[in-house]
Amino acid sequence: MKAPSTLSFWSARPYLVSGLALALALFFSVAVGAVWIPPQTMARLLAALAVPLDLSDVPPAYRTIVHNVRLPHAILMALSGAALASSGAAYQGLFRNPLADPYLIGVASGAGLGAVIALALRWPATLSGWLVVPLAAFSGALLTVLIVYRLARVNQSLPTTTLILAGVAVSSFATALTSFIMLRSRDELHRALAWLLGGSTVNGWTPVWAAFPYIVTGFLVLWSLGHVLNVLQFGEEQAHQLGIPVERAKLLLILAASLTTAAAVSFSGLIGFIGLIVPHTMRLLWGPDYRRLLPLSALGGAGALLFADLLARVALAPQVLPVGVVTALAGAPFFLWLLRRAKSEFIW
Amino acid sequence: MHRSGFFLTILLATVLLVACTAGGQTLSSLPSPTSLPPTPQSIRLRDGLGTEIELSGAAQRIVSLAPSNTEILFALGAGNQLVGRDSFSDYPSEALQIQDVGGGFGNLDVETIIALQPDLILASPLTAAEQVQGLRDLGLTVFVLPNPLQFDDLYTNLMTVASLTGRIQEAETLIVQLKQRVQSVDEKLSGIARRPLVFYEIDGTDPNAPWTAGPNTFIDMLITRAGGLNFGHDLQGDWVQVSLEEILRRDPELILLGDAIWGGVTVEAVMARPGWGELSAVKNQRVYPFDNNIVSRPGPRLVDGLEALAKLFHPDRFQ
Amino acid sequence: MKIGARLSLQSIQVAYNGKAILKDVSLEVRPGEILALVGPNGAGKTTLIRTASGVLEPAQGTVQVNEQDIRQLTPPERARWMAVVPQARQLPATFTVVQTVMLGRTPYLGWLGFPKKEDEEIVQQVLRRTQLEALANRRIGELSGGEQQRVLLARALAQNTPILLLDEPTAHLDLHHQALILKLVQQTVQECGLAVLLAIHDLNLVSLYADRVALLVNGRLQREGLPAQVLTKSEIEHAYGVEVELLEHPRLSAPFIIPHSNGSSERIAYVG
Repeated sequence: MKAPSTLSFWSARPYLVSGLALALALFFSVAVGAVWIPPQTMARLLAALAVPLDLSDVPPAYRTIVHNVRLPHAILMALSGAALASSGAAYQGLFRNPLADPYLIGVASGAGLGAVIALALRWPATLSGWLVVPLAAFSGALLTVLIVYRLARVNQSLPTTTLILAGVAVSSFATALTSFIMLRSRDELHRALAWLLGGSTVNGWTPVWAAFPYIVTGFLVLWSLGHVLNVLQFGEEQAHQLGIPVERAKLLLILAASLTTAAAVSFSGLIGFIGLIVPHTMRLLWGPDYRRLLPLSALGGAGALLFADLLARVALAPQVLPVGVVTALAGAPFFLWLLRRAKSEFIW
Repeated sequence: MHRSGFFLTILLATVLLVACTAGGQTLSSLPSPTSLPPTPQSIRLRDGLGTEIELSGAAQRIVSLAPSNTEILFALGAGNQLVGRDSFSDYPSEALQIQDVGGGFGNLDVETIIALQPDLILASPLTAAEQVQGLRDLGLTVFVLPNPLQFDDLYTNLMTVASLTGRIQEAETLIVQLKQRVQSVDEKLSGIARRPLVFYEIDGTDPNAPWTAGPNTFIDMLITRAGGLNFGHDLQGDWVQVSLEEILRRDPELILLGDAIWGGVTVEAVMARPGWGELSAVKNQRVYPFDNNIVSRPGPRLVDGLEALAKLFHPDRFQ
Repeated sequence: MKIGARLSLQSIQVAYNGKAILKDVSLEVRPGEILALVGPNGAGKTTLIRTASGVLEPAQGTVQVNEQDIRQLTPPERARWMAVVPQARQLPATFTVVQTVMLGRTPYLGWLGFPKKEDEEIVQQVLRRTQLEALANRRIGELSGGEQQRVLLARALAQNTPILLLDEPTAHLDLHHQALILKLVQQTVQECGLAVLLAIHDLNLVSLYADRVALLVNGRLQREGLPAQVLTKSEIEHAYGVEVELLEHPRLSAPFIIPHSNGSSERIAYVG
């Protein structure tokens, strides 16, 4: 079998395969749910997305379910999965550590703290504030990364080890604070816990429009840094000697990855394993070139999260499991399998 | 192609498996409305989030998102106007026959709710405002019933639900009964010499630091009304964790186990907890399991809770 | 490629944690010559290479390329003047040889890093010259130490710079690979007129391949000049604290150094 990384960079096959998997995942996410919709109706509803069709004889409930519940939810999950996987890949490249995930330097704990504060303040007392929780989560995430960055900075440089340590320290603090606040506010504890377990509780198209610009922009910036990440794999010193402005590159990477992760976490809650496992899987399949790994991780992450979300919705219907639980349950054994694979051949 | 093909096949197979085995409702499998006499005029009320809700007539297809709302609906005789309820609604037992719409982990099964074609969704502050907005964005009517702080607020809530469901008479009758029962308790407790100190345990997972109710909670209000003194009345917060030392220091007269309904917390087990043997309540065998639902769900059973508490605190007044 | 660049270090002082590593070191590397940097472990050879390449900022002194201070250059500009061949350690195992060598073109590729035809041709040329064509699609994690070092040399050659810095490229290599690497460097110097600064520990290789030698001891430049001038019995014994015998090479006019092995450890002088 030909070694995967020798597949020509310009080969379309990885993209076709990943794209196909994503398309399938999207299809099933929209076609399958707690309510059974007859295939014919489903086909017409799906077709109506592309071409204008007369849907007057379709029960409005079905139409609402497919167009206004499942479709925006699927798109949000796809965006979030893409965000988490591509940031995970970027962090693994930046820190040259296979255990790095998008939450390493504090995004998750910061978002959790922000969300819990907003919930504890019982802010959405009026409905005009419904976006408050995601916005608070977003701000919390970015603020935390900023604090970690300032703590880790030594003169003009940003040593990666210090960054990780600062991230761990600040995350622990934020998590402790989050727990404390959660325990002080009884009614919101329920909601806070649900949010922290992952899975979007907000429906409709608004979260999609809100998250989309951040996730897409952040991802494009990350993708443009693919070559830089490749060079960084040889160490910061060699990257410097090859002409890369290393500190600037690190800052950009952290900013872009934090932006995408914060947006994903704010609207979808904390979902683990996607950012860790998908990049490794893609690396195993198609090699370490980050110019290719980043978009492939995005595609793979989108598909994986859609798949996990599908399971979360139908496994115990009408109970909706938090997606984070599904990704953890599926992710852990998958990760172990991946480790066994790695021992028999180099994968990092 | 081997590796990627392999992955793809697995993916496809699993998804197909899930899709085929996913149970699920169809529109036809969900209950259809029973006919009731139509009420002529429209109903307009302001809900707990300040939104003005308008119904063209009494609601006939209601989805309840809180166990308290379910209890209220059944108490008003509107049980057969209910087509969906959250997972935690378990009282009365007839509620279990109604279609479950999720709600555990804060996640509602929105698809099933839509498929039920409700004309009213009765929510409570338990439902996040974002979710309420989300449901409204889908064109559904959601009425959030606020949490009552006192019994009078409870009566107001009953009337509100009655207006929404065309059960005004039943509500009036019920309120009169409830008021009588509360008044009876007040009368029986008039002139009590002292208030026993009561420790109400909400969560005893860590027996060295159990959780109890703080001030401004239902439980605190009910204990006070029932002639007792809540252990947590002077502490900070709604849920408070107290150390065993503090409990030993204050030495409550009674211990109520609100977590008994979760299973595993029995009177024998609690009395056997290390250090708890020193408490007067344990020595005098005044440790009782208590149905948490009748003091925490803001529905008519709060009066049941009041009566049960009063009987425990002042049994001599209730012979 | 720019031809005929001169690398000069002037009065370089580098300190780390308050301890001085390099003390007032001045060096010049001229086009078409290999300057070998020798000295005991801890003398500061690697630090000097890192300072010369711009990774470390000297506390005092300047590094200049053709009279221009490298601090005034942007990283890509600097990388078009100087390439570094580091020791082959902790390389990302899954990159292929050709991918790694292509990274040498980084200073000429755009931000996105997509190579043009010209870049691909240069890479192919370099692979040929360094005899790596057969290994082009192999992953560098699967190669031997000598082959890995050759890949790093190829990458530096692909960078197409007039100045080349090598940090102990022959450490951990067998005789065959040691000779191969240094021969390649020598050939490239002769063909392209590179200026090469070569930090190396094996004194006998120095004799064979270097045009000039600089002896660094304890952060100070002890002696600089032709190999025969610098590698004298007294200098070596002073610098390394070991008794040595010097022999004449049968064909070249370079000295051969053989340390004494008769166990007379009490006669070892300490380097101060």
